[in-house]
Amino acid sequence: MPLIVWVFLLVPLVVEAFWVFWPAMNSFSLSFTRWNGIGAAEPVGLGNYQDLMSDPTFQTALRNNVIWVIGFGGLSVVIGLALAVLLNRPGRGIGLYRAAIYLPMVFSLAVTGLFWRVLYSPDGLVNFSLDSLGLGALERQWLADPDVALYAVLVAAVWRQVGYIMVLYLAGLKGVDPSLEEAAAMDGANRWQRFTRIVMPQLRSVNGVIFAVTVIDSLRTFDIVWAMTRGGPYNSTHLLSTYMFEQGFTLVNLGYGSAIAVVIFALAIVFIISYLVRSIRQED
Amino acid sequence: MNTTTRTSPVSRRGFLLGASALGTSGLLAGCLGSEGTPEETGTEQTGTDETSSEPSGPVTLQNSQSDPAPREALEALIGDYPGDAEINTVAIEQFRAQLSTYLTSANPPDVLTWYAGSVARDYAAEGLLLDVSDMWEGEGACANFSDALRELSSAEDGSQIFVPTNYYWWSIFYKKSAFEEWGVSAPETWEDFLALCEDLKGRGVSPLANGIGSTPWMASGWFDYLNLRINGAQYHRELLAGEHAFTDPEVEAVLEEYTKLIPYFDPNMASYSYQEAVTPMVQNESAMYLIGAFVTQFFPEDQRDDLDFFSVPPINPDVPSAEEAPTDGYFAASGTDNPEGTKELLAYLASAESQQTFIEISGSSNLPTHPDVDTSSFSPLVQKGIELLNSTEEITQFFNRDSSDALQATADDALTRFLADPSDIPGILEGWQAAAERVWDQ
Repeated sequence: MPLIVWVFLLVPLVVEAFWVFWPAMNSFSLSFTRWNGIGAAEPVGLGNYQDLMSDPTFQTALRNNVIWVIGFGGLSVVIGLALAVLLNRPGRGIGLYRAAIYLPMVFSLAVTGLFWRVLYSPDGLVNFSLDSLGLGALERQWLADPDVALYAVLVAAVWRQVGYIMVLYLAGLKGVDPSLEEAAAMDGANRWQRFTRIVMPQLRSVNGVIFAVTVIDSLRTFDIVWAMTRGGPYNSTHLLSTYMFEQGFTLVNLGYGSAIAVVIFALAIVFIISYLVRSIRQED
Repeated sequence: MNTTTRTSPVSRRGFLLGASALGTSGLLAGCLGSEGTPEETGTEQTGTDETSSEPSGPVTLQNSQSDPAPREALEALIGDYPGDAEINTVAIEQFRAQLSTYLTSANPPDVLTWYAGSVARDYAAEGLLLDVSDMWEGEGACANFSDALRELSSAEDGSQIFVPTNYYWWSIFYKKSAFEEWGVSAPETWEDFLALCEDLKGRGVSPLANGIGSTPWMASGWFDYLNLRINGAQYHRELLAGEHAFTDPEVEAVLEEYTKLIPYFDPNMASYSYQEAVTPMVQNESAMYLIGAFVTQFFPEDQRDDLDFFSVPPINPDVPSAEEAPTDGYFAASGTDNPEGTKELLAYLASAESQQTFIEISGSSNLPTHPDVDTSSFSPLVQKGIELLNSTEEITQFFNRDSSDALQATADDALTRFLADPSDIPGILEGWQAAAERVWDQ
């Protein structure tokens, strides 16, 4: 092989090893210690993991992460796909709609979080709208009520994500062969049948990409929760990532934080490997 | 949050932390725990010694005071500094998270803003703080500071590691004009206080402002004061040091009393931060606020002279009077390559003139620690604050400063839970004790 190929292979490998694998290994070894950032780390064996098992906040965070993956992935894909189908037609002003829906994507999640915090404030737009619609009974302190706070944050995250999913699906729909759909229409297939039997199968490769993107996006969610609730009220909205951050960097409980990080890493790896295995099989 | 103005070169660790603050992928987050393994820190600390030969460049001040007014005041002070110094302001959350990284890095900031108390002592015990004992002797900048401040600024080995520059008192703040309008006056006794709350509530006003949403530690303000008034400062300190259990009947009595206040709090307090809770008070929709004197800067300028305060009235007549007076100031990294310049900057910041300038520009009602500051030109509110602290028998700091940030997290959880649903006090206290034991065990 020519030298240039080796350079192109080795440089990213070295960068990856130094910036990703080496710190990950360190994180792994740190998770078996108790360390407050100063002095020497004290080895505790599996102690951190045992503590995690009995830590109510960790269990909440784990459960919230499951809710998050399902809610965030499910809602943003369903709504994004619906919007894409709805807006995949020529027409006046359709570009404007598309742009408006994609617009939230240009804000960072942290900014989205701050923006929605204002909407959710006790005299904010959400409560005001409910009141104006005569639904005053539904008014609440959205981010201060442990029963709804996680879902309130979820809505904000989905609001931002649907535009992205929509654009991916719009691109996919461009590749759908219209003659197949016309043929099916001639054969008497109704709109729903045409969508499920003709269009969706052609979107399979896009679905694969979107599955991977949403799962990884939902596992790495951190900033919007941190910006909106910091895991509160009383730890009810913690995700694994925010709890890791709080333990590791707010409380400087680095061993314990590392143990949580290892759990996140393990979960992400399981998803990524299963995705890779699936897509390799499909290629065969 | 985005108040970071980095002027120092970003270290690899700083970059990783910054990356995490921006919320990177779960994968990167998964790697973040690796921030400096023990071995790595070891090498960096020896690296520190190697580089401590030649002073180079300006003395840096790492500043965590990111509220606009104190930030401006400190920037003005550094601007006027005759020597070579630069300031680097970081939002307090991030500052707190990175403090240990700053102090252990090969090229630490020379001077850092911080509070007196347990955190400073922990770092001093690890040898990370510059010994400034000579500043407390002879002609030193802190030589005339009070003995209480000296005690507060000392490490466990008796050396001084902290330079206090201002402190503030906690009390119940209210607006004179609003009290006049409602025809009420500051209460003398606890019964009067509860009656006043009831009276105000009857007028459709929220008697007690509070902001425990993004600042849940504000729930500890009333906990501290009720504990000081019911069980006394001695018990309070011992409780926070782990010598008593949160399941004690004494603590239960504190929450029983706290329960009486719950109907009087602003119903939106769980959505507000401590700054936001001022807004309804500005509009006379809430009446009183137990908070530190820094609250004055959140009021519009034309209302600041209207503010007055009264101390939380006595509940148990057998305990000595006590007030909370958190002390702010600076410490320096032992890894500085320019200890002389660092101490010069500290002395400048501690001087009577600097303290006066800081208090004037920041518009806060903080009190100077330097006995030579001419306080006669200060507002009547500040004069009254000085009087309050001079006449009290005991002084405490605040929950986290008297204990630790980790214990504060347990209080945040327990107390906000309690405020939302006070029906099961024993259950809440058991959960609190269990969480506190995990902290004390570490």
